[in-house]
Amino acid sequence: MRELARKYATSVEEWLKGVAFAMQEFLFFSLRAFGKLGAARRYWRDVLDQAYICGVESLPILIVSALSIGSLIVIEVGHQLAEFGAKTMTGRSVALSVVREISPLVAGLMLAARVGARNSSELGAMQISEQIDALRAFGTDPIAKLVVPRLVAAALMFAPLIALCDVLGLVSGAYLAEWDLHLDPGIYWNSVIDILRPMDWVVGFSKPPVFAIGISLISCYNGFATTGGTAGVGRSTIKGIVYSSAFVLITNFYLSKVILDLMRG
Amino acid sequence: MIELRNVSLRYGSREVLKNVSLTIEDRTIKAILGPSGVGKSTIIKLMLGLIKPTSGQVLIDDVDITHLSEVELFPIRQKMGIVFQGNALFDSMTITENMSFFLRENLNLSEDEIRRRVQEQIKFAGLEGYEDSLPDRLSGGMKKRVAIGRALIFHPKMILFDEPTAGLDPVSSKKILDLIARLQREIGLGAVLVTHILSDVFAVADSVAVLYQGEIIFNDAPQKLYESAHPFIASFLANPED
Repeated sequence: MRELARKYATSVEEWLKGVAFAMQEFLFFSLRAFGKLGAARRYWRDVLDQAYICGVESLPILIVSALSIGSLIVIEVGHQLAEFGAKTMTGRSVALSVVREISPLVAGLMLAARVGARNSSELGAMQISEQIDALRAFGTDPIAKLVVPRLVAAALMFAPLIALCDVLGLVSGAYLAEWDLHLDPGIYWNSVIDILRPMDWVVGFSKPPVFAIGISLISCYNGFATTGGTAGVGRSTIKGIVYSSAFVLITNFYLSKVILDLMRG
Repeated sequence: MIELRNVSLRYGSREVLKNVSLTIEDRTIKAILGPSGVGKSTIIKLMLGLIKPTSGQVLIDDVDITHLSEVELFPIRQKMGIVFQGNALFDSMTITENMSFFLRENLNLSEDEIRRRVQEQIKFAGLEGYEDSLPDRLSGGMKKRVAIGRALIFHPKMILFDEPTAGLDPVSSKKILDLIARLQREIGLGAVLVTHILSDVFAVADSVAVLYQGEIIFNDAPQKLYESAHPFIASFLANPED
């Protein structure tokens, strides 16, 4: 029994060491990426390519997500409000939920899946085929060439994408409120405009740059740390999605909490 | 000249290289022979400064590169080209782009000069007509020749080959070995050839070091292998395909 406990303790210790080492490596990787941000000017074509990939190519899934967000809030909340004779408040509920929380969160998760998977798998494949070593061997900094353009492109694109999700979420809410609750669009939009304060936009738009940095760095680091052939690329891709999504969920909560607490004094 | 002085490398509890010392003179072809997974490719990466040894020194033309930064390493790396085992070609770039990419990245050359250098390598590698092809469209032997052309693009004085004939058919293997011999004969290029294929060693190498369990157990002319009494070398010579 004691032997089993010792074995268990040793494996836990090894695991903790592994986690600490990975955290340290991730920190150094992130610092190097920030230190090389100036390379975005040199690799501006790569920035544009990545902006197209993470921006334009993400549009279909984001549009579908955004349309469903507003509609679902109307279905769930609008009917509850209607039971109390307060369906004119539907616009307020949709506006606050969409702008502050649901739109950044859902868009963040979609981008974590799409951008995180792409970065991890693409860079992982480059790592196992020694293309990253080739860059270093022939004098090109792989972080400047591969990570910085992805980081800058995500930072540029995430805010407009989430703004689009906000608009589509509100519009889909308006259509469903009219169709399902027979709520006049004028009343809906008036309540949307009435309730939204600058603080709500600050909360909503504080998230895209944080998500962009977190998702890009986590997924690129996973790609660079890939070992073990094609199975390793698979593992990196899964890690890229899971860790990026966890990052989005956790930071979404803390950003909302901290900013709202600060602004409410 | 490349020199490894008492180099050891450890990954966690696994000792990959133990006190390895090797010297590779300019204009000579040195083979590093050993079974798969013994750390042969690691030696090449150490020579380029892609990984750092746990202890010992790696010297390139008497400069210790062990503690150099990436920026400081670049002029040293320019003296050496590398051909990776899987070629490491950029699959979204054409053959011409693969060869010209690093010239544009690192040297301030005119477009004419870049075109001239790329054409020179394409001709040397016998790849005329494939300038605009993507690597996926080429055979294994042709990809290897592209990788060799790319390795020569900075006009290095030494070229490092990681398993240059692994996975190639006998005809392509012979072409690659002939190319390596031509590089030495025609432009005086030295080479380090990491391989597990004995016939490659006898085909082109001036000397051979045998790596076994992280240690150099033999370092002499290939013909002297037959005089070695080491049981691993005897078994390797008896079963070269194992």
